[in-house]
Amino acid sequence: MTRYLLNRLLGMVVVIFLVLTIAFVLVRLAPGDPAALMLGPDATPEEVVALRARLGLDASILSQYLTFLGNAVQGDLGRSLFFDRPVTEVLASRAEPTIFLALFSLIFALIIATPIGIFAAYRHGSAIDQSSISTAMLAASVPSFLTGLIFQRYLATDLGWFPASGYGGPGASFGTRMWYLVLPSITLGITNSALILRFTRASMLDILGEDYVRTARAKGMSEARVVLRHALKNAGIPIITVVGLTFALLVAGAVVTERVFNLPGMGNLVVNAVLRRDYPVIQGTLIVVATLYVLVNLATDLLYLAVDKRVKY
Amino acid sequence: MSATRLRLSTALALVASPVLAAGTIDVAIIGEPDTFDPMISTKDVVSIVTQHFVETLYTFDESWAVVPLLAADMPQIAEDGLTYTIPLREGVSFHDGSTMDADDVVASLDRWLEVASRGMAIADLVEGVEASGPSEVTITLSEPYAPLLSLLAFSNSAAAIYPEEIVAPSIEQVIGTGPYKLEAHEPDQYTQLVRFEEYTQPEGSAPREQIPDEIRFVPVPDTNTRVEGLLSGQFDFADSLATEAYDRIDGSETAEPVLLEPFGWPVFAVNHKEGLMTDLKIRQAVQAALPYDDMLFAAFGNDMFFQTDGAYYPEGWQWHTEAGTELYNINDQQLAGQYLEEAGYDGQPLRILTSRQYEFHYRMAEVAQMALEMAGFTVEMDVVDWATLAQNRDNPALWDIYITHSPFLPEPALISSLFPSAREGWDNPEKNEILDRFTSETDPEARVEIFGELQEMAYEDVGIIKIGNFNALQGQRRGMTGVAPSPWPAFWNAELPE
Repeated sequence: MTRYLLNRLLGMVVVIFLVLTIAFVLVRLAPGDPAALMLGPDATPEEVVALRARLGLDASILSQYLTFLGNAVQGDLGRSLFFDRPVTEVLASRAEPTIFLALFSLIFALIIATPIGIFAAYRHGSAIDQSSISTAMLAASVPSFLTGLIFQRYLATDLGWFPASGYGGPGASFGTRMWYLVLPSITLGITNSALILRFTRASMLDILGEDYVRTARAKGMSEARVVLRHALKNAGIPIITVVGLTFALLVAGAVVTERVFNLPGMGNLVVNAVLRRDYPVIQGTLIVVATLYVLVNLATDLLYLAVDKRVKY
Repeated sequence: MSATRLRLSTALALVASPVLAAGTIDVAIIGEPDTFDPMISTKDVVSIVTQHFVETLYTFDESWAVVPLLAADMPQIAEDGLTYTIPLREGVSFHDGSTMDADDVVASLDRWLEVASRGMAIADLVEGVEASGPSEVTITLSEPYAPLLSLLAFSNSAAAIYPEEIVAPSIEQVIGTGPYKLEAHEPDQYTQLVRFEEYTQPEGSAPREQIPDEIRFVPVPDTNTRVEGLLSGQFDFADSLATEAYDRIDGSETAEPVLLEPFGWPVFAVNHKEGLMTDLKIRQAVQAALPYDDMLFAAFGNDMFFQTDGAYYPEGWQWHTEAGTELYNINDQQLAGQYLEEAGYDGQPLRILTSRQYEFHYRMAEVAQMALEMAGFTVEMDVVDWATLAQNRDNPALWDIYITHSPFLPEPALISSLFPSAREGWDNPEKNEILDRFTSETDPEARVEIFGELQEMAYEDVGIIKIGNFNALQGQRRGMTGVAPSPWPAFWNAELPE
């Protein structure tokens, strides 16, 4: 077990190193000069050269890469070119909306999808099963920006039930900030509930056909107990996998939803950073997302142990 | 509304709305200002925000005439046009509590000449800026330069006045004298300004009444999100909206459209340094081939939002002249074909560099491409993101035309493309001579005449290709008053309806 953990951690370092390197090369291959962008349309070539020097962009790519790696190892992700603040500080200030958005949309998706998935599997082939699958397909097919726009227009603008965008403004309390996340969370949750629903249903279908379920029924156990106690526990592994991956994807992929609702999260940050060619912020966000992805994967594997005693590492 | 729904929405509204201070104006702007130091940026979004807390010696009134702001009066200009003596207002406080004097102004203007693009452009002409008294500064020039006051008044690459103590090549925390001061800034979330209680009103120019307690600028990059925020009542003002949203805003009970008519001009910038367009016949062929009406219609969709107008300044502006415009909107691909023949055009691709960041640029380019191909051009479209365009246009080897736009600037000498030093590199000796006369002439009427010559020259030599005028759509809370339509709207007089 310890060996397994060590191996996984080592693998994680390699993955992050690769992500770092690829990110570094890719963002620099993209044309577009951050200095020219920051100075605006009327900047003279001399001003651009001076700003490039001040930002350290005139050094060779290799030396920039080595400096970046050296600093990253020490936890220093550099300074944002645009905000002139440490990248770690910028990222920290954007973590809250993204993490809570991912969390709420996951909770929303689980609340909607798990019971329906179980029920659909239990009533396999029935009208309820069919309609839940079609609804899930539909929900998964509508892009979240469209769902977001529809919610924004009708629930926020027309009915005034929710704020249309933003994150509460200056001095907003924690409660207010969370209130601003309701519509975005539902928007993102709907898209992801489809995936969870289908996984839950498929997984439950497998288990419900197993011998021990039949045995449990034969012993006279109540249906609810059979489904929730025996079957669900064993259907748990694939569900945990998909939930874990969904969470990581949500953090990384909240981009569109954050854009539509103008949430100051990491997704919005990375889009702006790309448009501004803010190299250190792009790299920093990728490192955080890659790390999170690897960690969530590890946590998912470890959760298997807790759910299924037969799993051994 | 049913009773249940009413109860529900009331309950939700109670939870939802943060307690707003009375008189807060929320303004949705198109992005985050990358600096609060308006000297070093020419971006409109920087001007819009910083003009509330940073001031200049002069400013523009509603008819774009220069009026004093931190100066006590208009300058005394020596007969030879070389010395400007500017009296300063006394008792003006900076936000740090210090009082403005001539030393602050001298230090600020010296920095402006060193770091601001508009200041640098005239730095060679300025022999010196000196304090000629505790409340008076003198600017000495090596040759007369009429646009000086407009440059000192512009909020864009602004000759901002800072306390001498903070003046440095790079300023950490900007301190100004404006009616509002910077209270808080959360990047990509908001910039919060509050009333500056010790503000002293300028005399003569329009008062800055400090009506709102707070002004909050919220960067909202997505245009649809700005519209929804405006219509839902979240924002009191939203800048730069897609014209498609006009009808919805017009029909709303919460908001009303503000049409900035006209806002500016889309331009096909011409590469005079390298490539195809260095040949006058080819330039004339492009000018003759373009279907300006169709391009504007494709770009803006409804003639409520554009005018097919070749004059560089629209009617109503003192700079308006029709000189040379007979060459505008010829829309004759056959004639263009003749020019191409005369030029001995061999089918080398005409490269148009554009971006979809501004969708109307791209739509104009598409129509232009068809017309140019009909005239016999081979056209190569290079559609990139704005960051790439901003870089590539500095390399004259990469493009023949790039598409941009500009608001109508209060003084033609602010139109950088007219100068040979600009990236377009339009360096025609005859034009340069007119330009020199234009910038050194001090008599306003004579300047208008010379500007006519300049515009005529621009058409004959195809220096720049102006496509037309376009209007900008902004939106505000229905019944809000005190915000004059402008590319750089200001909110110190904004008053919300009861």
